[in-house]
Amino acid sequence: MLTSTIKLKILVIGESGVGKSSLMLRFTDDKFDPNEQPTIGVDFKVKNLEIDGQRIYLQIWDTAGQERFRTLIPSYYRDATGAILVYDVSKMNSFQKLETWLEELEINTNRNITKMIVGNKIDLQNMRKVDRELGKKFAKQQRALFVETSAANNINVQTAFEELVKKILEDNIFDDQNGVAKSDIRLTGMSDSQNQQPAGGSCTGGYCGR
Amino acid sequence: MFGAFGKQETPKEMEEILNDTITPQELEKFEKVYMKELKDKKCVTAKTQFEYAWCLVRSKYGADINNGVKIFEGLCKDDPDNKRDHIYYLAIAYTRMKDYTTAQKYVQAFLEIEPNNMQVMLLDEHIEKELNKEFKKDAAIAGGALLVLGGLLGVGFALAKKYHDKKKPDEEVRKNEPAN
Repeated sequence: MLTSTIKLKILVIGESGVGKSSLMLRFTDDKFDPNEQPTIGVDFKVKNLEIDGQRIYLQIWDTAGQERFRTLIPSYYRDATGAILVYDVSKMNSFQKLETWLEELEINTNRNITKMIVGNKIDLQNMRKVDRELGKKFAKQQRALFVETSAANNINVQTAFEELVKKILEDNIFDDQNGVAKSDIRLTGMSDSQNQQPAGGSCTGGYCGR
Repeated sequence: MFGAFGKQETPKEMEEILNDTITPQELEKFEKVYMKELKDKKCVTAKTQFEYAWCLVRSKYGADINNGVKIFEGLCKDDPDNKRDHIYYLAIAYTRMKDYTTAQKYVQAFLEIEPNNMQVMLLDEHIEKELNKEFKKDAAIAGGALLVLGGLLGVGFALAKKYHDKKKPDEEVRKNEPAN
C-alpha cells in the first residue's frame, strides 16, 4: 500500500452518441442530462477514490466521438493507464466500430493499457441490437473487462469505473517515491518502474502488482 | 473498500484542460499537412485548417495560439456548419492568452445557442473567476493609489497645519502689539 496518492489517467472512447460523456457525468457528479450535446474535442473530470485504503486520484479524459475530431484525439492518449471503450447496445454499428478504436489504442499507446468494454444504454431494452453474450465474448477475445451499463438509470456505472481501477492496480507496479510531493507522484508502467528500481530489481515498497 | 475521500484535493478541471499542451512533434505533423496543401493546391481544406488550428491553440507559445485564433476566425465564416467548435476553441485560445474579456464574449455567444453546455459553462465559470481576480487586483491597485494620495494629502494637511500653528503665535504676538 502506498502512503501517497496514486494518479491514474483513463480515457473514454467510442463512437459518437454512445453516451461517453453521460457515463462520466454520472460517475463524477451523479447527474444525467438527456439533452447532452456532442463533446467538443476533449472534456476532463477528476474523481478521488479510496480503494482498500489506497487513495486514487482519477483523471478521466472524455473524448469526442465525432469523425472530425478523430485524427487529433490520439494526441491525448499519452500516459493513459486505462481505457473505457463504449458502445451503444441499441446500435450494432457502434459495437462493430470497437475494432477500429482498439486498433487506434494499440497504435497510440506504447504500453499495455488496461481496457474495459462497456455496453451502454441497457435502459433501452426494446431497442437492443447487441446481445450481452456477444459483447462479453468480444471483450474476452480482446482481453478486456466487460460490463453493461445505463447512465440514464444509473446501472453499473460506479462498478464499471471501480472495476477498471482495480484491474489497473493489479496490472501495474507503482513506485512509492519517498519525499516526493504528493502531486508529483506519477504512475509508472511495468517497464518504466523496472528501470527505476535499484539493482536487485525487487519490488521496493509501495503497491506491488501481480 | 471503495469510497470517496475528503475534498482536500479540490479538482481544478478547467486548469488541466487549459494547461494541457501539444508536443512539438505532433504540432509539426499537422503543420506539414497544412503547408503541403497550401503549397500544392493554394487552398487548404476546412478539415486540415481545423486540425492545424486545434494544435496551435494547444501550443505553449503565445505566437502559435495567435495563429490558431486567426485560422478559427476565418473558419467561422468559411465553415459555418461547425461554428460551435470554432467558437469554443476561440474562447479556449483567448483564455489561454489570459485575454479574459474577449474569451468571455465568445463564451457568451456560445451559451446563447447552447445554454446548458457543461464544457462551456465550466469555461465560463473559470473566466468569471479570473476576471474577478483581475478586478480585485485593479481595485487593490486603485485602493493603494488612494491610500498614497490620502497619505500625501494627510502629509500636506499636517504640514499646512504645522505652518499654520507656527504662524499663530506670531499673529497673536502681533495682535498683542500695540498699534501705533
